[in-house]
Amino acid sequence: MYENFFYQDKGLFLQSLHPAAILAYLCILLVLALLFSNPVYLVGLLLVLVLNISAAQGGEVWGIYLKIGLGFALPIIIINALLARGGETIIWAGPNIPVLGRLTISLEAICYSAAMSVRLFIVISIFCLYNLVVHPDRVLALLSRFASKTALILSLATRLFPSMVRQMANIQEAMMIRGVDFQTGNLKQKLKSHAVLINILLLSSLEDSLEIAEAMHARAFGSGPRSSYQRHVWRPRDSFCLGGAILAFGLAVCAQITGYSTFEFYPRLGCLLKNTMAVFNLVFIVVFLSVPAVLSWGWRRCPYFNAKI
Amino acid sequence: MCFWKKAVFPFLVVCIVALLLVISRINPQLFGQGWGLIALVIIVAAIILFYWRFEQRKASSREVAVVAVLGTIAAAGRIPFAVFPSIQPVTFIVIVSGYIFGPQAGFMAGSTAALVSNFFLGQGPWTPWQMLAWGLAGASAGLMGKYFPTAGKTCMTLFCVVWGYLFGWILNLWTWAGFINPLNWQSFVATCAASFWFDTFHAAGNAVFYLFFGPSFIKILRRYHRKLKVVFLPDANCAHFPHG
Repeated sequence: MYENFFYQDKGLFLQSLHPAAILAYLCILLVLALLFSNPVYLVGLLLVLVLNISAAQGGEVWGIYLKIGLGFALPIIIINALLARGGETIIWAGPNIPVLGRLTISLEAICYSAAMSVRLFIVISIFCLYNLVVHPDRVLALLSRFASKTALILSLATRLFPSMVRQMANIQEAMMIRGVDFQTGNLKQKLKSHAVLINILLLSSLEDSLEIAEAMHARAFGSGPRSSYQRHVWRPRDSFCLGGAILAFGLAVCAQITGYSTFEFYPRLGCLLKNTMAVFNLVFIVVFLSVPAVLSWGWRRCPYFNAKI
Repeated sequence: MCFWKKAVFPFLVVCIVALLLVISRINPQLFGQGWGLIALVIIVAAIILFYWRFEQRKASSREVAVVAVLGTIAAAGRIPFAVFPSIQPVTFIVIVSGYIFGPQAGFMAGSTAALVSNFFLGQGPWTPWQMLAWGLAGASAGLMGKYFPTAGKTCMTLFCVVWGYLFGWILNLWTWAGFINPLNWQSFVATCAASFWFDTFHAAGNAVFYLFFGPSFIKILRRYHRKLKVVFLPDANCAHFPHG
């Protein structure tokens, strides 16, 4: 189960992008998702993410993420629908609850809940895409330029995590051979047996940490300024993807300032697309953000194009 | 001069956050519906400032290795307890680590545990909030250890229970700020009520972990904390022949 979420190298176009380019692209997507509240614009962003996730061959993982998202979406829908009192089209008027006040459900609140659920799925999908296309080591290598100690701690922990999980399985096996049953008993007994496991892990891992420290000391850790070697090359594909994202961001800011991309939920539902400029804005934003997915498609099908970017 | 040089970065971060807040007051529509974007910026800025503070201080190789290992243990602890809803030893391990190793090590262990475990369990919009919440749990435990080093078992158990709820409330902020309208105390209470049982299980789990295993964990960590404090005495030969 845990292997599903960890980055898997599939030799994809999106995985070959420079970490700074893909991180900036994902950050812009996240900002736009939190910026827009217009349902049509949110659906446009979701479309871009569907294209990118299919380019990253991540349908299965996305399914798991959507199931997790459903758990978050339910309270959002219920709370928004019951507590928002700005809507004029009242569908149901409920009782007066002491702390929460009078519960009402309006058409506007239901639409707002639906829009916010779409926003939630977009935000979750962005992180799903991050998991699929960004290797943790590449981000940490980027971070090591600015924050070497933090990057080192995170790199060490990322390296130690799988080995510690294996070590934990070994300890569990040894304990089971000695007669400890992790499956039977009440909650207290189960907790106790699992926590003993963590206790043993703590002891052995702290011993290991001293060896790691000795190794770091032997490699001159802390003796002076740290050098860093970067293997990542900035290629035309990175410029295209980042350029597209920056253009989309610029258009989105203009659309927010002029009001083309805004949408009024309360007191009555406004117009989804106010004029032709709003439509053009949306189309251009979606096109600019789809650059990585389009390049990925071309990269797979045309060797010449592949060589050029 | 050195102080001013060091103060430039945090000053810039605070200025950026303040600027965004001012812009949001002038044109509320610019940042969209709700406080999702501003809240995310504030959280990321807070995490950056904590990491920046850690970068500024001198840390030995032993300190770095122990913090990494503590963060990994806390992260790995999420796996065997994944079958129990909301009962995870992460908060307990982070609190105990912070209590012994100090606020900064506590913050680093907590935030590392959140980030690294999510590399394997799935990164999500909850990651920065978990990093901050567990980091603050570790940092506050560090302050507790610094100012109340003789805090007893009851006091620390209560501290763990409080952090069970605080962790849930901090995590609720991301759904509340980004997806709920209107943003008032009633809607926040409703959001917290939706997660009440999860938070209660978390708090109860923390208390059980501390009551059963707190003292033994603290004993082990205290022993290793003493091992960190290595002082290199000047070599007798070098003292006699400083230039030789």
